[in-house]
Amino acid sequence: MLEITDLHATVDGKAILNGLTLSVGAGQVHAIMGPNGAGKSTLSYVLAGRAGYEVTGGSVTLDGRDLLALPAHERAAAGLFLGLQYPVEIPGVSNLLFLRTALNAQRKLRGEAEASGAEFMKLIKVEAEGLGLSMDMLKRPVNVGFSGGEKKRNEMVQMAVLRPRVAVLDETDSGLDIDALRVVADGINRMRAPDRATLLITHYQRVLDYVVPDRVHVLVAGRIERSGGPELAHQLEREGYVRVAA
Amino acid sequence: MSLPTRKTEDWRWSDLSGLDALAAQPANDAAPDLAHYWLDLDGPRLVFVDGRFVESLSDRRGLAVTAVRSAPRHPLGDIAAAKATSGLWLTRSANAAAIGPVQIVHVASGGASHLASRIELAAGAHAEIIETHVGAGWSNVTCTVALAEGARLMRTTRVLKDGGAHTDFTLATVAGAASYTSAALVAGADSARIEARVRLQGTGAFAEADGVLLARGTQTLDAFTLVDHAAPGGTSHQVWRSVADDLATASVAGRVSVARDAQKTDAVQSLKALLLARTATANAKPELEIWADDVKCAHGATVGELNRDALFYLQSRGVDPAGAKALLTRAFLGDALDRIGDEVVRDAVTADAVAWLEAAR
Repeated sequence: MLEITDLHATVDGKAILNGLTLSVGAGQVHAIMGPNGAGKSTLSYVLAGRAGYEVTGGSVTLDGRDLLALPAHERAAAGLFLGLQYPVEIPGVSNLLFLRTALNAQRKLRGEAEASGAEFMKLIKVEAEGLGLSMDMLKRPVNVGFSGGEKKRNEMVQMAVLRPRVAVLDETDSGLDIDALRVVADGINRMRAPDRATLLITHYQRVLDYVVPDRVHVLVAGRIERSGGPELAHQLEREGYVRVAA
Repeated sequence: MSLPTRKTEDWRWSDLSGLDALAAQPANDAAPDLAHYWLDLDGPRLVFVDGRFVESLSDRRGLAVTAVRSAPRHPLGDIAAAKATSGLWLTRSANAAAIGPVQIVHVASGGASHLASRIELAAGAHAEIIETHVGAGWSNVTCTVALAEGARLMRTTRVLKDGGAHTDFTLATVAGAASYTSAALVAGADSARIEARVRLQGTGAFAEADGVLLARGTQTLDAFTLVDHAAPGGTSHQVWRSVADDLATASVAGRVSVARDAQKTDAVQSLKALLLARTATANAKPELEIWADDVKCAHGATVGELNRDALFYLQSRGVDPAGAKALLTRAFLGDALDRIGDEVVRDAVTADAVAWLEAAR
């Protein structure tokens, strides 16, 4: 479903991704683990199409479609979702307005009918309740005054409402206490479906106790150094990146 | 006609150089279509074309419309006093029958037009006035406001011209426990100068002078508000948000002065500007002149750009760059627009701002 082939990318002229190849099939959850500076966040921004992240080689396709040829908003409409490591605060724009604008922008790009106010409210109510965010919080400006855990839950609510084909979650588990981690992991598990793929980028093995991945990849210096089953995450936790990747 | 130049500090951001040329242009006397400028409010509707009241297009509901032959001493006021052909003289007493919000549409068909108005509210009286300026040419309007004890005036000014120039001067005096509230939205005019001087001269008086400037192309928009706290216990707010795109210039100066015996004054001033292009210019000048010692004066002035992280966040969720820009700009303007107390008016002015944003897409 998501095919990354020999991907090279630079930031400010500095090579960060150096020939990354990865294939995530439909229905699968893959974890990418790696030390600081390995290129984990760069990979997520390159996939999402953020300005300033320059692709210098390779290809990325989603359902066979050339993702790199699309601007960021069209990648979202094509089914890519990026869960941000640091969700942004937007004063003056409520979570409801933000998400409804996003949902309808995607539907419009796909040539689908836009969601009415009532339809949208029904949709978001179900997802917000499941993830423990109150409607009162959703009426507040995007992420303003939210705790770290609430911001990540909000990302999960957005993902659930937007129903992407491929979710790239950039350290969605970082900075969470154990309760918040369970809620977020539950949010990821609920999205598991035969027609959906998840790329879970993480620094720690902890989240993988709750979201059991089909494959684990070790990212070092901008390239996948090793791949394996869920047990690879435990080995990394025991032995560290240096020994496992060597 | 002698107009101030940019050499005078209080006029340094104004562009009045083209006014004489505009005044000499012939007028376009095509009948204007005003239907979409009226708000859904039950009250008098007055139409002025080139500074002259047009009875046939208006619904006065008993309001008297008479020329005001005096205007406050001011470079623009002096011209208005000399040349105004008509104006609105609104006086209300506390026990007068309710007339509802007064809507006024000013149509400028080209050339120059001058209008001098006077609003007097007796003790305890209320009034709401919404003025909309449309058309082209140079419109010069002045208004003298006198609010007696406990009177309340809510004013909204929309400048939605297709071009030309708009100059607007208000001098307001506010007695004890009286309240003067104004909100302005300035878009459309090639150049505009909107100035208000509000004097809080009784104990516990209140003033609010807010607005938004929306400038693109080569527009030069300039707002200047002064609140003079002359008596104790007064409260004032000046909240301005300006947006400049392309080669435009948006400038806001706000001044708060607090007299020696105006203790317990609470003044808030917030002047923020947003540049949508690096080629645009925004000026923000906060001025505080405080002679009393027991006062609260909060002030802030910033010139900035849209948050790149927020722009990317919206795009990563499927919103195109122009839509993301419009949504964030609208949120920025909300600080000023959301303060408008009358919901119908607030929605209409917000819609004006949204229409301005949409026009760029």
